[in-house]
Amino acid sequence: MANNAKCIIDAKNIVKIYQNGSDELKVLDDVTLQVFEGDFTAILGPSGSGKSTLMNILGCLDLPTSGQYLLDGLDVLKASDNELSGIRNKKIGFVFQKFNLLPRLTALQNVMLPLLYRGISESEAMERAKQKLTLLGLEDRLTHRPNELSGGQQQRVAIARAIVGNPDIVLADEPTGNLDSKSSQDAMEIFKELNQQGNTIVIITHDIEVAEQVNKIFYIRDGKIYNDGGKGVG
Amino acid sequence: MKLKQLLKLVFINITQNKVRTFLTTLGVIVGTATIFMVVAIGAGGEARVNEQYAKLNVGTIIVMPAARGKVADPLTKKDALLFQESENVARAFPLLRGNGSITYDNFSTNAGFQAIQPGFQDSNHLTVQQGRALVEDDEKKKNKYAVVGAELANTLTDGNPSGIVGRSISINSRKFEVVGVYNPVGDSGTGMSYDDSAFIPYTVGEKYLLGTRANPTIIVQATGLETVQSAIEDITNILNETHRAGGAEQFRILDAGSRLVAAQESARTMSLLLLAVAAVVLIVSGIGIMNVMFVTVKERTREIGTLKAIGAKKREILGQFLIEAVVISLVGGVLGVIIGFAAVPLLKYFELPALPSISGILLGLVFSVITGVFFGFYPAWKAAELNPIDALRYE
Ligand SMILES: Nc1ncnc2c1ncn2[C@@H]1O[C@H](COP(=O)(O)OP(=O)(O)O)[C@@H](O)[C@H]1O
Ligand SMILES: [Mg+2]
Repeated sequence: MANNAKCIIDAKNIVKIYQNGSDELKVLDDVTLQVFEGDFTAILGPSGSGKSTLMNILGCLDLPTSGQYLLDGLDVLKASDNELSGIRNKKIGFVFQKFNLLPRLTALQNVMLPLLYRGISESEAMERAKQKLTLLGLEDRLTHRPNELSGGQQQRVAIARAIVGNPDIVLADEPTGNLDSKSSQDAMEIFKELNQQGNTIVIITHDIEVAEQVNKIFYIRDGKIYNDGGKGVG
Repeated sequence: MKLKQLLKLVFINITQNKVRTFLTTLGVIVGTATIFMVVAIGAGGEARVNEQYAKLNVGTIIVMPAARGKVADPLTKKDALLFQESENVARAFPLLRGNGSITYDNFSTNAGFQAIQPGFQDSNHLTVQQGRALVEDDEKKKNKYAVVGAELANTLTDGNPSGIVGRSISINSRKFEVVGVYNPVGDSGTGMSYDDSAFIPYTVGEKYLLGTRANPTIIVQATGLETVQSAIEDITNILNETHRAGGAEQFRILDAGSRLVAAQESARTMSLLLLAVAAVVLIVSGIGIMNVMFVTVKERTREIGTLKAIGAKKREILGQFLIEAVVISLVGGVLGVIIGFAAVPLLKYFELPALPSISGILLGLVFSVITGVFFGFYPAWKAAELNPIDALRYE
């Protein structure tokens, strides 16, 4: 990684505590991490270690209990609700384990949606969505609804939707968790390819095989982050 | 997101669940159809009242005996002349009324007859469609002539009154020659239908039909609507003067204008009552919409989470679900108006006067939209306020 690359994610001392009655559950404990432009990063950890919680915070879906978070230099903790929506729309592309496509929309309409929320015209959104779906080999599935597509195809539609708006970063939470091994491998190839084209990608996973295919790994255990397999603090 | 795109999204969601959409609209259909019909019936009712009283002289005052049968100290022709001296009275006519069997061409019916002075016809808009009216000469010569009301003429001739003029009818077995038939005038405001009566000269009624039992009513025409009350006071004073034995108490004084106002008011009250019923139906249908929208929001919780993740703002989520509720209720509203229109002939068949109107259509549609907005807002707001992570986790 080049030292002069732009810092996209700059999170410092992130703490997330869930209050459960009088019980306090510290799910993220002083997490500090940075992701640079062009990185292909994995956050690896066992189930329940706080990976999704971390991704929700990095993806501006949730706010930390304390800490500091700059996304592309912007202080997320000071943003209003509306501004957070705008940040998610323009700067972040999400890929979910369960794909999260809208069931009544076609593949094309699903991919157009982030652009439409940005106020881009229908014709331009359609053009750009088609282009991304073609890039992912789905040019003959444009008018299919999610239930007419295989799991691997649905995840490719979801990846197209994540990258259609040229976000600063793609956040994928267990993107291969619901896929068979062939489709998983296809999805990983797509992520590699997208990274080579310059996309910054963070994959969250509990699967060591997935994590081995990226350039940089953060380990997470019990809400603490390490970057050397858990032997010392990163 | 542009409004057009939001509408498209709503359209997709609504059309892909047609059964749900239709079931939700049912209540609104009924509510809107009811409002439309209520307005139509209300308008029809008021039109009927106005038509009924169109020929009614609102300045008419009726002075009649308070009790049926013989009165110790009855009204007289002279009283009518005395009333006419009041500055608030334009004209006053004595009138003898009776009921009896009227026979024409071997056909008998029970109807009213009224003995009148010729001037009475003018002041009560009685004009002839055939033959001639009663004249001063008939009064003087005590001609046994009769002019028949439009409806009575129809009844006697089985709907074909053209040949009745020149023929004779008998009223309580006394023969009269029919010299004319009046045009219909509707409600007389005097409690007796002119259209369903036979009219004879006053002097003839006194002499042949009622004789000493004659117990006149006096029809007074005030100089205007605003002088009716003063005229009634004058009449009361005169009666107290001239009928010392029983005074004004033995007579009833009615004014026709107040009857019209009462009829109009009762038509309006009826409309309001029906409108309230329609409003209740719409409220119930609105609660139905609210229920369905809550279920919809719950069903789509994860979708809402996804929309938020890809950048939907709160107001866009709110807008989407609110528009969905409004479109559903508007569809119901349009269907309701169409069904209301289709029901108008049915209402007429049941003799309910129905007058479809633009204002009925607008009121129905406006109410359906208000229902959608009002009852759709809370579920839509709930959807907008969902926490994105909770929504995404929702199974
Ligand atoms: N909303 C919440 N309220 C309480 N506890 C939560 C909530 N969300 C997550 N947790 C807890 O936080 C821990 C980490 O969860 P999560 O971040 O989903 O882990 P992972 O994605 O690594 O499996 C778990 O123990 C989970 O039960
Ligand atoms: Mg997880």
